Amino acid sequence: MTTTMTKPPADAAPEPPRRGRRRSKAARAGGTLHAGPIAYIILALFTIGSLFPLVWTAIAASRDNQRLAQTPPPFWFGGNLFDKLEIAWNDANLGEAFLNTTIVAGISAFTIVFLSTIAGFAFAKLRFRGRNALMLIVIGTMMVPPQLSIIPLYMMVAKLDWSDQLQAVILPSLVNAFGVFFMRQYLLQALPDEIIEAARVDGASSWRVVWHVVFPAARPAMAVLGMLMFVQSWNDFLWPFLVLTQNGSPTVQVALAGLGRGYTPDQSLIMAGALLGTLPLLLVFAIFGKQIVGGIMQGAVKG
Amino acid sequence: MRAARRGSARKVVVMAAIASLGAGLLAGCADDGNDEDSSSSGDSSGKTTITLGLFGTMGFKEAGLYDEYEKLNPDINIEENVTERNENYYPALVNHLTTNSGLQDVQAIEVGNIAEVVATQADKFEDMSKAEGVKKDNWLDWKWQQATTKDGATIGLGTDIGPMAICYRKDLFEKAGLPTDREEVSKLWAGDWNKFIETGEKYKKGAGKDTYFMDSPGGLINAILSSEDEKFYDSSGKVIYKTNPAVKDAFDLTAEAAEKGLVQSQTQFQPAWDQTISNSLFATVACPPWMLGTIKAKSQPDSAGKWDVAQAPKAGNWGGTFLGVPKGGKHVKEAQKLVTWLTAPEQQAKLFSKMGSFPSAPAAYKLPQVTGGKNDMTGDAPIGELFAKAAEQIPTQVIGPKDQIVQQGLTDNGVILVTQGKSAKDAWENAVKTIDNNLEK
Amino acid sequence: MTTRHDTAASPVKGGAAPGRPPGDRASAEADRKRRAKLSRRWQRDMRWSPYAFVSPFFLLFLAFGLFPLIYTGWASLHTVELTAPTDMKWTGLDNYTRIFDDEFFWNAAKNTLWIGIISTVPQLLMAMGLAHILNYKLRASTFYRVVMLAPYATSIAAASLVFVLLFGRDYGMINWVLDLVGLDKIDWQNGSWASKFAVSTIVIWRWTGYNALIYLAAMQAIPQDLYESAALDGASRWRQFIHVTLPSLRPTILFTVVVSTIGASQVFGEPLLFDANKGASGGSQHQFQTLGLYLYEQGWVNQHLGRASAIAWAMFLILIVIGILNAVISRRLRASS
Repeated sequence: MTTTMTKPPADAAPEPPRRGRRRSKAARAGGTLHAGPIAYIILALFTIGSLFPLVWTAIAASRDNQRLAQTPPPFWFGGNLFDKLEIAWNDANLGEAFLNTTIVAGISAFTIVFLSTIAGFAFAKLRFRGRNALMLIVIGTMMVPPQLSIIPLYMMVAKLDWSDQLQAVILPSLVNAFGVFFMRQYLLQALPDEIIEAARVDGASSWRVVWHVVFPAARPAMAVLGMLMFVQSWNDFLWPFLVLTQNGSPTVQVALAGLGRGYTPDQSLIMAGALLGTLPLLLVFAIFGKQIVGGIMQGAVKG
Repeated sequence: MRAARRGSARKVVVMAAIASLGAGLLAGCADDGNDEDSSSSGDSSGKTTITLGLFGTMGFKEAGLYDEYEKLNPDINIEENVTERNENYYPALVNHLTTNSGLQDVQAIEVGNIAEVVATQADKFEDMSKAEGVKKDNWLDWKWQQATTKDGATIGLGTDIGPMAICYRKDLFEKAGLPTDREEVSKLWAGDWNKFIETGEKYKKGAGKDTYFMDSPGGLINAILSSEDEKFYDSSGKVIYKTNPAVKDAFDLTAEAAEKGLVQSQTQFQPAWDQTISNSLFATVACPPWMLGTIKAKSQPDSAGKWDVAQAPKAGNWGGTFLGVPKGGKHVKEAQKLVTWLTAPEQQAKLFSKMGSFPSAPAAYKLPQVTGGKNDMTGDAPIGELFAKAAEQIPTQVIGPKDQIVQQGLTDNGVILVTQGKSAKDAWENAVKTIDNNLEK
Repeated sequence: MTTRHDTAASPVKGGAAPGRPPGDRASAEADRKRRAKLSRRWQRDMRWSPYAFVSPFFLLFLAFGLFPLIYTGWASLHTVELTAPTDMKWTGLDNYTRIFDDEFFWNAAKNTLWIGIISTVPQLLMAMGLAHILNYKLRASTFYRVVMLAPYATSIAAASLVFVLLFGRDYGMINWVLDLVGLDKIDWQNGSWASKFAVSTIVIWRWTGYNALIYLAAMQAIPQDLYESAALDGASRWRQFIHVTLPSLRPTILFTVVVSTIGASQVFGEPLLFDANKGASGGSQHQFQTLGLYLYEQGWVNQHLGRASAIAWAMFLILIVIGILNAVISRRLRASS
């Protein structure tokens, strides 16, 4: 459901930003900014650095504890990986957890992106009394350490009797100052005042400006924010663990917390579970990564 | 412009659709939650679902006890909700208890937390001593007392205990010129932890530098402290760890062992410590029955049968759990019945034979599942009998609500530093500073 | 700090109707009425829509953010334990004044500062470089974007397992490599600087790609013609980066610096996971205990809600002081230049 917002409507062809995007894409494609060999070398090093710990998680999951205790450490997969993955999948009942987490993370990410974009736009480009003070409050809320707030928050949720219900995880996560601040800073840079003024001159209401100017201009940032929020929600542990149980409607991290039970937790099983929890996210990135297409605005500025 | 307006109207419709979809999903989930609520109070087949909130160590399901109970009580369905780490489980449990929300029908409580739960949350639990079929005499007296308030309410029934012995490597002892027979080994240090250290020195002389006598300073200080009547609190509930000579003696003895290089510079249960089991780098470890499970899981296959179990210089207890029934649960009566059954001697004995959790009910010690107990790592050693002997000598120890914090300070902010080259005095000061700061409200 | 980059749009002033060409001259009167109506609507729109746009955030904040804030503020003035969060005993400012003598707090503050510097500075510089490279036309660019976020996608629990093994003193891969090239093994958990460095490594690993993606999104919004005209002037790629990319990214750079500073002040997952079995003391001698971790230890492990709340508020106040100092200094700098 998170992709819906990025699909342009079929009949919106005459809108200036869209026309602009098409042209600018062509311009970029014909641009001179090709990466040189050094860039590829740096990227290769970076790829190794980023992926190595993950790949090694898979290697560790495919080995037994005894092999991990030897030097040199194992560098390649053993034979157990798929067995362990299967056990972890069944033990933690991950199928249901994936569904729940997708609902939670999807709704959170989508709502945060939408609310942050309109609020960020207002803070970046509209004039109103109290704007700076309100923005300071937004930034101030980011400074509250989350580890502590969840205790009083839980007292609230208990009063509301929301135990084991997904809205107890979703709703508090929507208070997201990061998103508002992120969108404000992005739009300050990416959305030239001239375009808004042009739309105003055409008689567009603020809502129409949001739909036709702000959203198209904010698309890359929205995709990025959506990805970041989806991941954050997906990996959140402390709060969902407090609110949800494994038998009710667990998220992935809550379900994984029960893996490897016993005085002797099976290290490789826990790693297999961790791997299963991460893989779907990489898939989501692959889909969203494409959405971060460049150069939406320049065509619009030109005309 | 008109086209654009239509576009925007369409977008609003799309938005509304998305929003309602979101709301629908939300409502759907909420409904799901309610459905499950109602199913747990009796679904179409009229079954009652009892939920258990457990942490890592239990194993009722794995031992087949739920299946057995469900067969005996066809109208009952049992679900468990297990958290691997008590560090995650316990703060959540406290939160749930104080808000009376999100509680399972049965909640497990670790021995390290039981004093705190008794002191602060007793009114949230049913008094199990009044439950039908519960006989106080079934349990070791100290186990029963640990979960009982001053007013005599018992908030949880004991499942397992951890009678501590010393597990040792026969092959390494032999190489070091020490006896390998468990009776003789027990005699080397019977009644005195100092003799245990002396044995360690002999071991070091004989075995050389490749292996250590004991696994970790934390294991040693914990073992010594477990065998004392009083450690961190006195019977009036006052914190006395700083002035109790038994604690300082335990600390100094462990520091001495560390200075002499008898213990590894490791913290128990960290991956690096696991690896020293795998590589057979130490000869002894303080060892409740469940530790054999740890050793088995971390060892190379060729270590099987090389371990044996000797009595500790003084017997003590390490680990164990209670099952309580919160008043805020949905099926209090049924839960009490289940807990009573799960903690009965017969079931405790079954749990030992399958999972290695040692019974807290002495009646179970005569049952064949215990007397015939064996473990791969210790070959033919009759571990059931050996641990039962230790269990009967466990002192009634005064426990306090913050025992874990004190113990953690003495271990991880204390004796471990000696293995890294600090003096015993500096290590003690570092530990005391940390503990006092952590205890201060 | 936040007003500096405001280049707010100047909406049409005076409530005049937008300069829309009159469509038909048939009925000037009707047109005038329509315009007046439009104008009123226009005014209302201009005046209230900004509030409508920001209100969802603040409504949600009122619903779910305010009570925790008030509760922790109130709790910080009391002795109160997690085991009975409503049973409060008034102590006034005691929880705050004791912070001045709390060597663990100041130790944690020092650690937080160092870990913050060691991790944030290289992280943001590397992120900028990466984003710059990824902004080129690349083969398999989606692949790199996925790779970039893979560490961030790894849960704390998963990352903990791997890094504790990699940084292991006796059997860890990093020490194995050091040994291989003839260097001494390092005790990553117990060394004062070694442990800070190791914790910072985990922070850098998890967050570099995250920041790179944020930079990348902002770079993609820089108009192509700026580069084209710079290229026409004969500017090298490096000069284009300095003179076109960096100035355009100023709001986003400010954003990442502010967010990273706040994030660094709250770092807690990485040091917690780096020594997962030792509770939250951040090493035997608290050598890598951060403020966020200290807060967690006092609140969750030791269950002192009142003390932990005061620590949280003290952190909050320190951040505000830093923010004000930053604003004053940058104003001075601008005034003098």
